[in-house]
Amino acid sequence: MRKVKIIRLQKTLTLFAILLLTTQSAVAQFDADKWWLADEPLLGFVAIPAGSFPMGSNPLIDPMAFENERWSDSRRQGIVEVPLFYISRYETTIAQFKEFVEDTQHNVSDASLEGAANFPVASVTWTDAVSYARWLDGKLRGANDLPIEIKRFLDEGGRVTLASEAEWEKAAKGEQGSIYPWGNQVQQGMANYANDGVLAVGSFDCSECKFDLADMSGNVWEWTRSPYQDYPFDDTDDREDLASDALWVMRGGSYSDEANNIRASVRGAADPGARRPFIGFRVVISKQ
Amino acid sequence: MQSVTKKRDVKSRTSKARETSSVIENMPVIGGAHLLKVPTLFAIALFLLSFTSRVQSNDTLIYSFWASCLGLLVWQGWLLKHCAAHNCHKTFIIGLKPQHYIQAMVHLSVYTYWGMYWQPVQDHAVLLVAQILFAYSFDILLSWTRRETYQLGFGPFPIIFSTNLFMWFMDDWFYLQFVMVAVGFLGKEFVRWNRDGRLVHIFNPSAFTLGLFSLVLITTNTTDLTWGPQIASTLSLAPNMYTYLFMGGLVVMYFFSITLVAASAAIVMFALSALYFSIAGVPYFLDSDVPIAVFLGLHLLVTDPSTSPRTPTGRLVFGILYGIGVFVLYTVLDLFGSPTFYDKLLCVPLLNLSVQWIDRMVAPLRNNTLLENWGLGVTPSKKANLVHMSVWICFFAMISVLGKTDSRHVGDSLPFWAQACEEGRANACERLILLESTYCNDNSGWACNAIGAEYFYGQNVPQDTERALAYFARACELRFQAACLNFLDPSQISLADPRAFDFRLLLREAGQNLLEMPEDQLYRRACEHGWQFACDKTVSI
Repeated sequence: MRKVKIIRLQKTLTLFAILLLTTQSAVAQFDADKWWLADEPLLGFVAIPAGSFPMGSNPLIDPMAFENERWSDSRRQGIVEVPLFYISRYETTIAQFKEFVEDTQHNVSDASLEGAANFPVASVTWTDAVSYARWLDGKLRGANDLPIEIKRFLDEGGRVTLASEAEWEKAAKGEQGSIYPWGNQVQQGMANYANDGVLAVGSFDCSECKFDLADMSGNVWEWTRSPYQDYPFDDTDDREDLASDALWVMRGGSYSDEANNIRASVRGAADPGARRPFIGFRVVISKQ
Repeated sequence: MQSVTKKRDVKSRTSKARETSSVIENMPVIGGAHLLKVPTLFAIALFLLSFTSRVQSNDTLIYSFWASCLGLLVWQGWLLKHCAAHNCHKTFIIGLKPQHYIQAMVHLSVYTYWGMYWQPVQDHAVLLVAQILFAYSFDILLSWTRRETYQLGFGPFPIIFSTNLFMWFMDDWFYLQFVMVAVGFLGKEFVRWNRDGRLVHIFNPSAFTLGLFSLVLITTNTTDLTWGPQIASTLSLAPNMYTYLFMGGLVVMYFFSITLVAASAAIVMFALSALYFSIAGVPYFLDSDVPIAVFLGLHLLVTDPSTSPRTPTGRLVFGILYGIGVFVLYTVLDLFGSPTFYDKLLCVPLLNLSVQWIDRMVAPLRNNTLLENWGLGVTPSKKANLVHMSVWICFFAMISVLGKTDSRHVGDSLPFWAQACEEGRANACERLILLESTYCNDNSGWACNAIGAEYFYGQNVPQDTERALAYFARACELRFQAACLNFLDPSQISLADPRAFDFRLLLREAGQNLLEMPEDQLYRRACEHGWQFACDKTVSI
């Protein structure tokens, strides 16, 4: 009994230490003059090169695969071509979202703004997430000192938005299609899952993760710009079924999920008006 | 010690009493020094009410109650001090007048029936009681400040009830409700004229304060501080409300012979509505031939016997003028961009001012035998009132059979307004937008998306992309898929047919939402409303 207590105490202290360290270090990673985007050469945006990847799950390789990850009756996975796009290394933070709210007076729930600055924003609706992306798009276009690479991409037709399912999944699993962002085996210390609450973005060192993206697994579910539809994935048919009630895909699982739900292929979906403490988002710059 | 005497003993002690001697003759009088504290009892009761959960739910409500109590207690303190110094003698004259308690009972029955279908009425019950306590205390203090007697009866009940049947302030502004009540009583006390040798109040107290506050709210553009429009639109949530009001109205008509006022106003309005429809091809009022709140008003607001003409002819003219007044004000308010809800309230004080003029105008008809035979002359008669009531009953039955009361109204149908708008009929596009906006506020995703598209394209409304996006976002959060896609990418706007959930709101015909209605019935109803795709669906079901 006492041993259990000591283990619990150790776990709590470790989490507290991570929290403390990451809170302090992560604040330094963001630039208050750049809408609290990451203080990196590309403002935290990471290029995901054009190319194909296997979308969906193969139960022979991934026994935890859900039925809705199957590509079609005849195929387990589909090969999807995704053009170059940029994705944010981190989930959108409370500081970033607060900047948007203060600038636009956008009406949000108080819960979305509660918490440390570098924690992922949560309790936001899908429309809140799209509104933020639209606002950031305007800010980036109006900026004078935008990184040339980002500026060129925006000028060539890119726009800040949410990731499509395909973009998100490719960014999470890479061209080869691993089960988790870091590989095919679940590993402790790579993601915030099976936990009691969110952590600051980038709390876990995940240099093994594809494209060095943080929290693609766990922490908070991330809204995408794809309506929930059966595979095969095709983002040109989004307006074909308008009779059903809206349901939008979210990806990545959250702190409260177990290992099976933080796989890169997992497809969650939620009502676009839902505000939940485990649903946030990250943005991309995409030409699609 | 309590003393009971007759009015004659009191009359010698007050000069003012002469003015009302004929009214209060033979009424029992209660006197005694301890009665001076009666207003305090009402104030204390009001203070105790402030601890109910309903009042405790809002800080402004609590402070409004406490401020009212404090004001009454200060006034009471002054009166006690004044009376101690001047040895005043204050009395109650007990006067239980049928026009008070019968009207109050009819009002109460309306609240009960309406409250069964609209929860805020039930929530408002405590606040109604509070206003009655406040009204008694205020009215007694006001009377005793100006004279020695107060006529104790059910007088404040119909004033409070009829005021609240048309308007009450939201919790955050509820102190204005007490002000409104106070203004009603001040108007009754101070705004008087000599009529037929008696000094009487000019205005119906509730109509006076409602009219005054309506004017202030409209001119200060603060109409959203009250529940007025919600009250007006939710009366019809109770099934067959027209018939219910009609029945309640018959009671008032029978006892107080106001049939000519209510019936003539109603008949004029139904006739004008029919005339407008035949000319313009669209209804004059949005969702009925005579809006339910107007129908209520012409039975229970404009019919105060003491502020309407004395003669049957005068009452007929009074009713006709009310009908015309409401009809005209509806358009005037709309032209000024003000809520049309106030049409029924603003014209009553003006009509109250005109009663002497009306009575004088009809005086030459004194010798017209034909009119007298029809009970439309200048001599009131109970028998004639019964004849007028019979005519009104026949008329109401006829218009009900024609579907002009509780049945479906052509203005309830969105496809009707869309078609009328396309054809360029008068006000049709504005009505379409108003309806879509109303249904959007009711949480219909379809309606929010439709109005968003109108703002996006600047169709029937000025183009406003930001507003369009806000509507798309709202519709999306109501799970209307087309709206989500429009919000995400407005370069391509999608419209879609209403879902079953939307129809449960769109087809409610000013009644309850159709949350329990089976889908096949719902689509059949939609087909009747002119939704063509629903007709096809009905066939396939």
